Amino acid sequence: METFLPFLASGTGIGAVYALSGVGLVVLYRTTGVLNLAYGALGALAAFVAWTMIEAGQPAPLAISAGIVATAAGSLVYGGLIAPRLAYRDRVVRAVGTLGFALILLGAIGWYWGEAPRRLLLATDKLYLELWSVRLTYTRILALITALVMVAGVALLLRRSRLGLSMRALADDRNVSAVVGIKVGTIEMVAWLISGVFAGICGIFLGDLVRLEAHLLTFLVVPAISAAIAGRLSGLTETAVAGVLIGVGEALLTPIQAIAPYRTAVPFVVALAAVALLPTHRSVESD
Amino acid sequence: MLTSPLPSSGARRYRSLVPIAAGTTFLAAVVIAFANAYWISTFSSVVALALACSGIAVLYGQLGLVSLCQYALLGVGGWVALRVSHGLHASFEICLLAGGLVAAMIGVLWGLPAFRLRGLYLAVVTLMLAGTFQVVISASGFPDGGPGFFGRADAAQRQLMARPRIAEGDRAYLAYAFAVLLLGLILVELHRRSVPGRAWALIRRSETGALAAGVNIAFYKAWAFALSGFLAGIGGGLLAGAVGQLDGRAFTAADSILVFALTVVGGAYDWFGPIIAGLLLRAVPSLLTDFAVNGYIALVIFGVALLHALVTAPVGIAGQLSAVAARFSARLGRAGRRA
Amino acid sequence: MIRMTGLTVQFGGVRPLDDLSAELAEPIVGLIGPNGAGKTTLLNVISGFVMPTAGKLEVDGRSYLALAPTKRVRLGLRRMFQTEQVVEDLTIFDNIVAIIDHVGSDDPVAEVGRAVAYLEIASLDRYGAELNLFERRLVELARTIVGRPKLIVMDEPAAGLTESETATFRHHLLGIPATFGAQVLLVDHDVDLIASTCSETLVLDFGRRLAVGPTRAVLADETVRRAYLGALS
Repeated sequence: METFLPFLASGTGIGAVYALSGVGLVVLYRTTGVLNLAYGALGALAAFVAWTMIEAGQPAPLAISAGIVATAAGSLVYGGLIAPRLAYRDRVVRAVGTLGFALILLGAIGWYWGEAPRRLLLATDKLYLELWSVRLTYTRILALITALVMVAGVALLLRRSRLGLSMRALADDRNVSAVVGIKVGTIEMVAWLISGVFAGICGIFLGDLVRLEAHLLTFLVVPAISAAIAGRLSGLTETAVAGVLIGVGEALLTPIQAIAPYRTAVPFVVALAAVALLPTHRSVESD
Repeated sequence: MLTSPLPSSGARRYRSLVPIAAGTTFLAAVVIAFANAYWISTFSSVVALALACSGIAVLYGQLGLVSLCQYALLGVGGWVALRVSHGLHASFEICLLAGGLVAAMIGVLWGLPAFRLRGLYLAVVTLMLAGTFQVVISASGFPDGGPGFFGRADAAQRQLMARPRIAEGDRAYLAYAFAVLLLGLILVELHRRSVPGRAWALIRRSETGALAAGVNIAFYKAWAFALSGFLAGIGGGLLAGAVGQLDGRAFTAADSILVFALTVVGGAYDWFGPIIAGLLLRAVPSLLTDFAVNGYIALVIFGVALLHALVTAPVGIAGQLSAVAARFSARLGRAGRRA
Repeated sequence: MIRMTGLTVQFGGVRPLDDLSAELAEPIVGLIGPNGAGKTTLLNVISGFVMPTAGKLEVDGRSYLALAPTKRVRLGLRRMFQTEQVVEDLTIFDNIVAIIDHVGSDDPVAEVGRAVAYLEIASLDRYGAELNLFERRLVELARTIVGRPKLIVMDEPAAGLTESETATFRHHLLGIPATFGAQVLLVDHDVDLIASTCSETLVLDFGRRLAVGPTRAVLADETVRRAYLGALS
């Protein structure tokens, strides 16, 4: 049991970030119909921008804000310039478009920053809390708290505010929303902005908790997608819980020698299981 | 009062095979005659990739399905081909077929849960397969002559895959590869012109309409997926034979994404689109290196090309070339009639 | 022969079909009613796309509800949708053969020939993309009469056609039961088309049976006029 505790702790931290990622994906998908496969790449951008600024001696809060702004800007650029041109195509094509965006981001980051291994180090890494002989760094605690606050915050926004009402209307039926007078374009941009901010925060946390490497961070969109699918691409709570479980599950396999090299496949297998258990959706009308 | 006769059962449908056979043979002849050693070896990869891309074209062009695991299935095919070759010393053809069949099976089994769901889930599920394969193969590596299930040998005893006896030299092997590619393209075209092709067209038009026509949708999607996996698997075997060995670190999920992206760019609706895709996948990074440009720029170029293809030219480069050729021949036809 | 007993469909708070019972035995039967009356839902239940929450459905003495949609097609069910369904990339021939692929036939080419001769379609080589609406509707009609059909369900098949095209369509429709041995269930808003082709008509309103019986009597019925046709002075 003792061998697993530290991994439970580290898994919860990462799981919280997966949960946050998943929620960011679902909010965007529900409002715009786009499953943003470039989510991880956007996160990588934030992490690299933050790293550069920290290396240049800037204070951490400024660096982190800059990273988030960069990602939010990237998200808005795609959402405002490219997504509208695919707006009337089916959902798969719109998701594939974000794949193109991911390739561009991955290429740009690789070109500018290169492949050298890096660590994104935040001051909170060095401070920790001891709980039942397990070391919880402040970063992990911060990740947990941030995830809780942001998921609760966005849920509140969707349920209680006018903006949230408009976003839920769009999720329900885009065309009817337009007829009723909801400014579809503006609301969608807000969704891209919110999703971009989420992506940036997640990217920075993952750059710190895992590794600052563009390829890896880009594909950490996969656990987020797994969590989102487990939440049927609609439920925020289910997505968040699934994210935490995936992170914990992955981490708990680390001390098991035989399976350890394969533990990064956990999110993939979870997603497959989630899809297998989804009820068959006979779409009688077209997408 | 029919103005055109009812088609007899086979003759007309085979007419479409002629340009495919002619075009592929012509390309093969030109490359084999004029290419230097570097391009001969590059083209062996291009042909293997073209097979994989033709599988993607079946799924996307015929059914609008997105598969993001094609390079992984290529890897599966390569793995099986290597294992059968080193372990059983079977003929090259058997190794290829084994690779194709196993890749087809794994693709169908993995994708099965998603066939009854919206296309988006299939795209996600295949991405998961690509990721799983990446993790597994980088941990276990490809067979290289050793004992046991994984077939791994230590440095001194590593072997290269045995090439077919009639095609041991590089030029001969490339000709062999082109022949396999031609068979693959013919297989696809035969599918398109018969029951599965028509069923796929009905599904593409409307799933509800297809159901009302008696089409078992999950079955035909699985068939397309099996064909696609088979082509990727055979491509993997060809790749293993070309290079002699495969590197477990070179089969990432990103590669599968690129195979899909470039198939869309090359053109998923014409037979030569996958060949263009294979060329782009191999040639662009090589050219960039020649001009001393950072290899990552290739990713940016491919991303932009994909977006461009999606937004403005869904038929891809091959489709645009076909349209130009059609306009040109129409103009010639008009000129001929006037003369 | 279509027999429905207590057919009910419920989605959440909506009840598109409510305890619907009727026995429709005539060769060409009409199904009319205001928008939202449940006509398309009934067609979807017959096709197998919607499972009723209660009730029974029998076609030619066979219980339909236990059968998968594709099985029903193999037993002789055919459908024409409100929106045309011709595949643009296939020729007329391939569009029609695509149905025979799944219902089976001893001689597909002859089967297509028969359908095409009946409908007076001239050229089989043209692609779906080149056809106008009327030609597309004819191709869809051809699809319904191949492969030994038993029950052909049509949802506003003449929508968008001109007067003369509708007249041609009506002419072909009238001959189907005798020539191909199939019963036809026709849903349409064109009351003239219904009156001139259907010997029996079922009227739906709010998912319930409003009237059923010989077409002339049903169309003259007071309740039907009030609900749907408009009262005559």
